[in-house]
Amino acid sequence: MTNYEAVIILNPNFSSKVDIFISDFESLLKQNSFSITKTEDIGRRQLSFSINNHNKGHYLIFNIKGDATKLIDIENKIKYYESIIRHLFLVVKEHSLEKSQLFIDTQSKRNESKSNEEKIPESKSKESNDDKKTASEDENIEKKDSSDLESENTKEDS
Amino acid sequence: MSKYELPKNFDYKNVNLLKQFITETGKIIPARVTGVSASNQRKITRYIKIARFLALIPYTDMHK
Repeated sequence: MTNYEAVIILNPNFSSKVDIFISDFESLLKQNSFSITKTEDIGRRQLSFSINNHNKGHYLIFNIKGDATKLIDIENKIKYYESIIRHLFLVVKEHSLEKSQLFIDTQSKRNESKSNEEKIPESKSKESNDDKKTASEDENIEKKDSSDLESENTKEDS
Repeated sequence: MSKYELPKNFDYKNVNLLKQFITETGKIIPARVTGVSASNQRKITRYIKIARFLALIPYTDMHK
């Protein structure tokens, strides 16, 4: 019995059907007498380079325990899954029960982008106010110019 | 004398940590530059290579 960590990158088009995939994959693992200690749904992430013309991927991490011979069978089946872009099985000494750093990073990034989205309409309204201000200032400047011209005219007249 | 204080347990999932040990072009920085211990450098290299395969870190800056 060996401890494994399975990393699976799903096709982003299938990310709405993640729950179905996870249950399917877990049943496949259980059929091959694997025990699952932890599943982590990290979610969509930007890939640092495109794989099969995909720029985003849905990351999943499974902490599993089982036999090496059975793992080959699983890998042979997984090869032909269209929903999987890339997969990797790693041997690990121990499974950590804490949330992984990757999960924390992705969550914090997502929260940041969400808060930014909330801020955008506010900033837009501010910008529009600024535009009004600048517009009114421009008008003032124009008025000043005209008044200057007028004063000059009057000077010339005098 | 190590420049960076590495955490006791880290792996390929600590992407932000690993990004400190690659150049802008994606190359792994040698230990003589960063001052990391030999055992830690071996770990870093292994994890960077895993992270590259999983598209967490770029191989190069020439990706299309």
